[in-house]
Amino acid sequence: MTTVTPEPTDQPIPTQVLDGAVEAYPRDRLYVMTAVFLAVVTVVEIATYVWPDLPVWSWGGDTNAGIITVLLLLMAVKFFTVAYIFMHLRFDKPLLSRVFYMGLVLAVGVYLMVLFAFRLFWEGGHESGPQGVPFPSAGPQGPPAG
Amino acid sequence: MAITEPRPLALPSGEGEFTVEHPLGVFERPKPRGGWRSWLTTVDHKKVGIMYGAAALFFLLVAGSEALLIRMQLWSPRGTLLSADAYNQVFTMHGTTAVFLVVMPIGAAFMNYLVPLQVGARDVAFPRLNAFSFWVFLMGGIFLNSSWFLGGAADGGWFNYAPNNGVLYSPTHGIDFWNIGLILTGIASLVGSINLIVTILNMRAPGMSLMKMPIFTWMALVTQFLILFAIPVLTSAQFLLLFDRLFDANFFNVAKGADPLLWQHLFWIFGHPEVYLMILPAFGLVSEMLPVFSRKPIFGYPFIVFSGVAIGFMGWGVWAHHMFVSGIGPISVTTFSLTTMFIAVPTGVKILNWTATMWGGKLRFTSPMLFSIGLVTMFTIGGLSGVSHSIAPADTQQTDTYYIVAHFHYVLFGGAFFGFMGAMYFYWPKVFGYMLDEKWGKANFWLLLIGFNLTFAPMHVLGLHGMSRRIYTYDSGYGFDLWNKVATIGAFTIAASVLLFIINIFRSKAKARQLPPPGPDPWDARTIEWMVPSPVPAYNFDPIPTVTRVDDFWYRKYGETEDGRLVRVAATEDVVQKAEGDHDVHLPSPSYWPLVTAVGLPIIGYGLLYTWWLCLIGGLITVAGIYGWALEPPDDPDAAHGDDHGPDEPAADEAPASEAGTGEDAVDKEPETVG
Amino acid sequence: MAEAIAHHRELMAERDAHAEHAHIEHDTNTGISNTKLAMWLFLGSECLLFGGLITTYLLYKNPLEGPTPEEIFDIPFTSTSSFVLLMSSLTMVLAVSAIERGDHHRLRVWLTATALLGGTFIAGQVYEFTVFYNEGLGFTTSRFSSAFYTLTGFHGVHVTVGIIMLVSLILLSLRGHLPEHRSETVEIVGLYWHFVDVVWILIFAVVYLIP
Repeated sequence: MTTVTPEPTDQPIPTQVLDGAVEAYPRDRLYVMTAVFLAVVTVVEIATYVWPDLPVWSWGGDTNAGIITVLLLLMAVKFFTVAYIFMHLRFDKPLLSRVFYMGLVLAVGVYLMVLFAFRLFWEGGHESGPQGVPFPSAGPQGPPAG
Repeated sequence: MAITEPRPLALPSGEGEFTVEHPLGVFERPKPRGGWRSWLTTVDHKKVGIMYGAAALFFLLVAGSEALLIRMQLWSPRGTLLSADAYNQVFTMHGTTAVFLVVMPIGAAFMNYLVPLQVGARDVAFPRLNAFSFWVFLMGGIFLNSSWFLGGAADGGWFNYAPNNGVLYSPTHGIDFWNIGLILTGIASLVGSINLIVTILNMRAPGMSLMKMPIFTWMALVTQFLILFAIPVLTSAQFLLLFDRLFDANFFNVAKGADPLLWQHLFWIFGHPEVYLMILPAFGLVSEMLPVFSRKPIFGYPFIVFSGVAIGFMGWGVWAHHMFVSGIGPISVTTFSLTTMFIAVPTGVKILNWTATMWGGKLRFTSPMLFSIGLVTMFTIGGLSGVSHSIAPADTQQTDTYYIVAHFHYVLFGGAFFGFMGAMYFYWPKVFGYMLDEKWGKANFWLLLIGFNLTFAPMHVLGLHGMSRRIYTYDSGYGFDLWNKVATIGAFTIAASVLLFIINIFRSKAKARQLPPPGPDPWDARTIEWMVPSPVPAYNFDPIPTVTRVDDFWYRKYGETEDGRLVRVAATEDVVQKAEGDHDVHLPSPSYWPLVTAVGLPIIGYGLLYTWWLCLIGGLITVAGIYGWALEPPDDPDAAHGDDHGPDEPAADEAPASEAGTGEDAVDKEPETVG
Repeated sequence: MAEAIAHHRELMAERDAHAEHAHIEHDTNTGISNTKLAMWLFLGSECLLFGGLITTYLLYKNPLEGPTPEEIFDIPFTSTSSFVLLMSSLTMVLAVSAIERGDHHRLRVWLTATALLGGTFIAGQVYEFTVFYNEGLGFTTSRFSSAFYTLTGFHGVHVTVGIIMLVSLILLSLRGHLPEHRSETVEIVGLYWHFVDVVWILIFAVVYLIP
């Protein structure tokens, strides 16, 4: 058995060095800016709730298509920002991204298919769901016609 | 905490396995010794694989007994052996046990044992996690079957559709046992899949690119990805059901507007990839055996690989073919009918490739070869009936009849089980160091083939004549009587064949004493796991070989002349690795924390059904297990600290990881000379 | 007993000294460490789990009785919660950055901040659920309530497990067991934490904001 010289596990760093370390270390700057960006996007998301009638997203009318589209877009932007920057996918080997996207794409694909099978995205549809029971997507309605 | 002078660490070596009482995290790691305790604490993938296999064989007897009960009940019309309720439990548990506790674990057994060997690694990426997977699986299997003694087993079919699976229609705890038991086995599978994927992607021998891996490893990789993504879907469905049953939630409560079809969708999104993950390991094993006994390389290696990957992908788009008559509507039915037809293509590619492998080869009809040909033929029959199911209008008549039962038994039993049986015969010498008797093996095969076909071929007829499945009896006068009797005789023939297999094991072991040992390569095989001694030593390889092509081991023994004829270039003894000699290899130390952590989980399960105190106790055990695991001392530094990387010099201790990496390079990656 | 503890300390020191060439850190074919690849695979599988729960929610979000989402949600409150969790991702990544450059004090500061922010989020969830319950939305009230509580509850459990892991890291660091060359452990916990945040990004949009 040879010499065992453990590495220094915790050497205190003088605090003077640490002041301003956030700015001194370029990656940390990127993280803070990213967080600010995410906060701004979140504010925009909330704005759709506070001011639903802004022309940017009120074009869907009754179907709320505009708001939904904008919210989904913003959500995706936040999702990929966190994944790329905070989770380091941009700086890591591509295999990690591929493995994660495999799961993500599969999940989105398969579950979208399920939602389509349940006719979530359009009204009506008499063939799914037990007769006479209000259909999940359509809300309360009378017995299906025909 | 600095230790500055050189001295050996004072470790209490050799003082029995579990020594001093320490606070959490300070337990010594158990010393690797023999005996039953070494099995409880093992983290060796080979031992874990053997345990999976042994458990699977035990549950095979359980599932087989349940099958025999079914067949006896159906021997004649209006049978009185089982009541309707008992019959429901028996066929539910037969299916559940066969799928989750037999076929999947046999696959896991082979994958655990073989994958590190086939890629040239010493163990899987996370050895303790591997042990944990096995123990959780075993706990899940025991938990599930304890339902028999605790008020009755699940009785809604192995798929337990809603709303029948709710407390209104299934008031006993049977389905709860099913649910929680399968959540446990799901955890085991999921954790195991992460382990094996990392092993395959990260721990291959030098020179082994992905397209030089053996086919079995490729199929294992696809299988593990399927497990990784399919199990969580089942888990989400199971939690919905759990909450409905235990806490009165409304996921499948029609009165509150819920849709029972949600269960079906979620279950089959899991359920269809599930059947592919049952068959793919068997496909992989057959892809190993056929070339060996045809003395030809697998025909179209890239096609076999890509068709396996394609099956993995396409398997996600076909699930609702299990739901053609559930009212999903014509658009969905048409879509899934088309996708289901397409998935026959990659499987057909495989059948073609296997046949082409055998074509023109020098065939040796050993037991493994017979079983492999059995898979190819039986699976083809099952696949053909499958194609007929994909045509939705035809399926509307076939579904819920014995025609479907025939189909899935042909592909799962005739396919997966035959493949695994062949692989048992093939790999038995490698794992245990003695051959299984060939004569008994052939008798085993023929009896199984006859019994299997006697049992399930008539079911095609019964189904097309309208005999319903999942019902405890039938009336006379429908033309069902004769074929049911034939099927029952067939089932007992299968039982006799399984008995033959078990007897063969004991006989062969006893006879092995008088026979010379089979050595590393009794079959004249192709892949590198046949380079190591039989049984495989704890450290697997010494040294880790450098791989230059597919079937690397074969080409160390054989070359080819210009006109393509095989020519021996080296004697097998010169090419294989030797068991004697000083093997100073550092292996992961055993640990009992995986077992401890696993034991807490079924206790939580019982707690959910009986009393919160058990949940608390089980939870504490599991949490204690996790912390103990995370904090336990590293691999025993007292163990042989050796040569799979360079010696530890004082300089090496301070250097970063790259230095150790070069040390490794120097020893492991030295190119080997052939012959 | 004292001897046993001293012996344990030796083992820990030995482990830390050997960590780089302990057999966790071999060269890998992909160049990615085993544990990091494992965590990403796990996160990939979690997409399928949460996807199932989100899909269930989408199908059941219109109840037949009891309070509806529009009636019961308090968007300003939940927005604040969402901010809190989002910022915890920032503190988490700053913690990883700190240990990568050997600044153990900052590591603990940022880890504590992350855990506190996470704890605040959970407290907010508990408060929110209590208010909903008092306003008539129990777990068994309707299909919407079951789906909502299950989805957000699963997420909350994941956050809680994350907080426990963070606290464990803080304690490990305090006892000197988290040296710089084990920074990957913090990074892996960070990956889990960010994923949990990302799932909330999804939930916040899909459950609360989308009409």
